[in-house]
Amino acid sequence: MHFGQELTSLILFFPLVVLIIIGCYGLINSKNIFNALFSLDVIDTATISLFVLIAASSGLQTPITGLRRYANYADPYPQAIILTAIVIGFATQALLSAIALRLSRSNPLLRFKDLED
Amino acid sequence: MNVNIILTCLIFFPIIIGFLGCLFPNKFFFVGVFSLLVSSVLSFLGLLNGFNESFVLVNQGGILLSFDKFSLPLIFGTSIVLLITFSLRKKYFSHYFYQISLVLFSALSICFIAKDLISIYIALELTGFCAFLLIADKNTNKSLFQSFQYLIGGGLAMLIYLIGVIQAFTYTGSFALDDLSLAPSTALCLIVAGLLTKSGIFLCGIWVPNIYTNASIQSSSILSGCVTCAGIAPISRMSQILTPISNSMIVIGVLSAILAAILAIFETDDGRTLGWSSVSQLGISILSPSYACLYVMQHGICKCLLFNTLNENSDSQIKNGLIKNNDSISYHQDLIGLITFIIAGLSIAGFPFIAGFTTKTLLKYDLPSSAQLIVSTSALLTSAIYVKLIISKLKRFRFAYYKKTPSINIKSILNQNNLILIFCILFLISTSFLRFDLFKTIYITNSLSALFIGGILYLCVMGIEKNIESSNIRKTIDIIGAPFIVAAILLANLTYFKL
Repeated sequence: MHFGQELTSLILFFPLVVLIIIGCYGLINSKNIFNALFSLDVIDTATISLFVLIAASSGLQTPITGLRRYANYADPYPQAIILTAIVIGFATQALLSAIALRLSRSNPLLRFKDLED
Repeated sequence: MNVNIILTCLIFFPIIIGFLGCLFPNKFFFVGVFSLLVSSVLSFLGLLNGFNESFVLVNQGGILLSFDKFSLPLIFGTSIVLLITFSLRKKYFSHYFYQISLVLFSALSICFIAKDLISIYIALELTGFCAFLLIADKNTNKSLFQSFQYLIGGGLAMLIYLIGVIQAFTYTGSFALDDLSLAPSTALCLIVAGLLTKSGIFLCGIWVPNIYTNASIQSSSILSGCVTCAGIAPISRMSQILTPISNSMIVIGVLSAILAAILAIFETDDGRTLGWSSVSQLGISILSPSYACLYVMQHGICKCLLFNTLNENSDSQIKNGLIKNNDSISYHQDLIGLITFIIAGLSIAGFPFIAGFTTKTLLKYDLPSSAQLIVSTSALLTSAIYVKLIISKLKRFRFAYYKKTPSINIKSILNQNNLILIFCILFLISTSFLRFDLFKTIYITNSLSALFIGGILYLCVMGIEKNIESSNIRKTIDIIGAPFIVAAILLANLTYFKL
């Protein structure tokens, strides 16, 4: 029984690890700026999901106490922190897109090959 | 009034001034300069008196802040670097430059004083955004692309850091820096790899030389002076608590110190040489956790002066009316610039009776005797680098003023820029006398002989440098891949080698 529980939690982590690997692969192999930007977003999403998954390990109930008390509340601490990380990730994406827009005036294809000499 | 509230206000005041300055640029400039002056004076006094105060910001479960020997020197260094840049290059500032710098100051201070992983994460991200804006300030295609590289590399490093943080959280149940002793080694590797990338230590720090050359002078002086210090305080805090981290920091520090110094010697461009030398100096600093912050502070102030005086007054500045078209004024400015350049360079190389000698000696004799050898080797390479830089600066100066002897005029010497530079030189020299007990014959002869042999070493390799093509580490993939490689090295060291 105990072994089974550990196995399920490991299986839940599996897609996130795959997502991180996909993001890293994309970042390393991307030929232009836009692909790199999307790959970074994929890794960002995977990290956020990792936080959410770990917060939910103690239970799935929303951590707000009401009249009725539940036994299985989710951990609010990582959830509160990941909110900041989501906003920061969004800001990073915005800045990177602005730069991509600016660079596209001189290099419409936005290839790394043209930009780094 | 409570001391804690005043200290917190001092840290958050510049960020408010920065945002208000966007609305009223002229009115708030002097308020910003004043706040920097106050924090520099207070942190210097605190440093001299051994001030040590740590408190929790909001009641129980709040943010743990600490003003101690790790944070005070770095706050002092940062404020001095910003003050020097503000006073020397105010004329060249673009519209939102000083506002960004003030926000950067607050972000860096939070980074230095915070003692929990999440505050450090947020402060580092804010620092990264400010640095990004400072690099992109030049608004050329190259600098925009470099800022893109910096942000994408920094963003990835911070994500790696976050993954490490959440893994540590599952084991320790808190985000405090002090609880990391319970964390598994993989989490520690990921956290340290993220911090190393932000502070620009070798392999992770290959963005440093690219950016210093492509950003404007005021940006690169701020970047070299304070942005690279950001990761040093958390790293030195961590390596003081955890012995495995401090042991593997010696491996990373040695790699960084030696390899970056060798790359610096063979570099043909002076700006890139300064960048590689920065990487090498930061590598030396992480060898010893207790004196790292002091060393980085001295290095930052000297680097800021070096970048500000690297280039002579060019004709284009005279044409644009930024400098009066008068040979005598321009000559004296360049002469004092040259003297400052030499003093600051010698300070980093560890010449006696300048501030760099004090910090270098403190750091060197804090290490175990086997590691002192490494510091000596890197001191040799460092002096070779600065002999090279000083020679090339002297050559350029002679070329610019060949067979010109302008008249000496007191009025032309006493302008604002020269006075500030003279004050900086006096400050660098006088601070070395704060630790008078370090002026022993052995230490002085040691550093002098290192300088002498370094000079000879440079003369030996001078011919080779022209034949080697400049190192071609400019690709984005190098910047992206570096944190992974460093994390892997750290993990291998922590689990198997245990050096």
